[in-house]
Amino acid sequence: MVSTPYSDEIASLAQGRRHRERRRLLVAYGFLMPSFAFFIVFLIVPLIAVVYLSFTNYNIVTAPQWVGLENYARLLQDPLFWRGLRNSFIYLVVTPILIVLSIWLAIVVNRKLRGIFVFRTIYYIPAVTSVVAVGMIFEIVFAEPSGLINGALLALGVIQSPINFLTHPDSTLISIMLVTIWRGIGFYMVIFLAALQAVPEELYEAAAIDGANRFQQHLYITVPSIRPAIIFVAIISSISALKVFEEIFVMTDGSAGVLDSALTLMFYLYRQGFVNLNAGYAAAIAVVFTLVTLGFSIANLRFLERGTRDNRQ
Amino acid sequence: MTTVSENAAQLRRAKRFRKFFANTGWYIVLISFALVTVVPFLWTALMSVRPNSASVFRPERPPELIPYPGLIGWGYGQNEARREGAYTALPWDSNLPEGARHGWWRDFTPAFSEWFKSVGLDQFAFPATTVNYYRVWTDVNLPAYFVNSFIVAVSVVTLQLITCSLAAYPLAKMRFRGRDAIFYLILSTLIFPEQLTLIPSFIISVNILGLGNTLQGLIIPFGTNAFGIFLLRQTYQSIPDELIEAARIDGASEIGIWWRILLPLIRPGLATLAIFSFIGSWNSFLWPLLMIRQESLYTLPLGLAFLEGAFTGNLRTVAAGIMVATVPIIIVFLMFQRQFVRGLSGAVKG
Repeated sequence: MVSTPYSDEIASLAQGRRHRERRRLLVAYGFLMPSFAFFIVFLIVPLIAVVYLSFTNYNIVTAPQWVGLENYARLLQDPLFWRGLRNSFIYLVVTPILIVLSIWLAIVVNRKLRGIFVFRTIYYIPAVTSVVAVGMIFEIVFAEPSGLINGALLALGVIQSPINFLTHPDSTLISIMLVTIWRGIGFYMVIFLAALQAVPEELYEAAAIDGANRFQQHLYITVPSIRPAIIFVAIISSISALKVFEEIFVMTDGSAGVLDSALTLMFYLYRQGFVNLNAGYAAAIAVVFTLVTLGFSIANLRFLERGTRDNRQ
Repeated sequence: MTTVSENAAQLRRAKRFRKFFANTGWYIVLISFALVTVVPFLWTALMSVRPNSASVFRPERPPELIPYPGLIGWGYGQNEARREGAYTALPWDSNLPEGARHGWWRDFTPAFSEWFKSVGLDQFAFPATTVNYYRVWTDVNLPAYFVNSFIVAVSVVTLQLITCSLAAYPLAKMRFRGRDAIFYLILSTLIFPEQLTLIPSFIISVNILGLGNTLQGLIIPFGTNAFGIFLLRQTYQSIPDELIEAARIDGASEIGIWWRILLPLIRPGLATLAIFSFIGSWNSFLWPLLMIRQESLYTLPLGLAFLEGAFTGNLRTVAAGIMVATVPIIIVFLMFQRQFVRGLSGAVKG
């Protein structure tokens, strides 16, 4: 600011500015207030509370009792916790499959073909259908003697006895993973499609002149150009794979499968917290689960970002 | 001279030929993938109109894949339905006198089966029935679940549109201390899976706020949405500052600017957020599962999940319930799909 002899006026102007600034701050926080209220009650307080509860013995009815690290010590020796952790990690296999399939599908529907919008719309339908409905649809598809798959295969004589999709401990989790993949492809396809449409056409032409075949073009042009979308999808799909619950609840009728074979971390949290009423123990599961998820997201980010840097060099 | 033009014509023909087949290849891929997507829905639809539990696929005979109007109507019509094997009476039906009829119910089977025989398709065809829909609509309180889901979803959408559009305005268009810090704080909450806070949120909602077993309990915890704030902030940023400055000079209050000038301008963003939060709320399952004990307050996904318990082993009735629950949301999606996909891509790009 340029200094002038009218110091009184400057002072009053400065005061006015301070006043206006305070008013602006007040107005801004006024606008933010409603959202803050919800965030505080349903996010910030629960965040602090869950950490506190994980150090207590709490059954939701009587007051929590401080037990220190006992819940965490118990977790380490709980075979069901380890099975949940293992199954949640097995579930992560859906992430790379989903990424590859939905990128491929996005490339296909990015072609300028007649009626392509119809196909894009059809592929997105599973994403707007609720997980509960999808799970039940596949219970009917997987049904044992007369479902779509078993019925057709039995009638064709391909198999002699029905496949136990959801009633055999070895196949339950895999069957549910297939359903997750089926439901997810269309959703992630649209994300990749948006990214693909921002890739300049000339790059492909240049690569074609350089003699790159179509697969090489996609490997060296498409994949690096849509890397931000890949990182985004990798993170959100791995988080939703780790926290899978609804599919399993619905398709195993709330039992986590024969002999708890499809028990995931989230399912165990639900069972301990809301069926067995061990809220303190369930809070410890929630904390461990979040640390695993965060760790995984950071690892994902690091790994994929490093790829970006290498490419730039 | 002639050979050259002949060659050119040949080349052109070859090119067209190749292009046609290249596209055919793509269409085969597209259609087979569409079948993978659609067939489970079609199978459910097929099951929902089947009159009896005999398998669609029969050994050494063609599968019964074509439904034709058979027992169509809205009412008990038990005797007709029993004759066709469509109706296995539930315990509470048994006090109806033999031969009792309610509603209207007609057996179209003879006419259509004659026609199918004459065409030679009778091997593949079976008489469809509406009895499964009737049962799922009356025996389970599906209409009430529908209304509950709708009330919850509309309230959540309204609440989120208000809170998010209010919060996003200063974050996009005002300069004040701590703005960026607040924005990144809100954004960082997206990293935490909502399951982390499940237990304390449940305790706060039920024990402190007394929202257990109420529809409000399915609405208020979802009063705001970090993703929505992020999305609307993007939309606000596309509005030129001069517009707001001009309004301020004209003496409009901030709330007036927000309500009269900005809200109409960010309508596309609001529509996107509305669609997302509607579908999210409509489909949510875990939270209602924890909060709602009373059957009359069930939302649709809850009712669906418990449908299986009510009709154990009767997949046809369950299938009818699935159709009733999913078809409306699919229709809504098809109506708004352009906005939907555009909004999604916009959100990802931004």
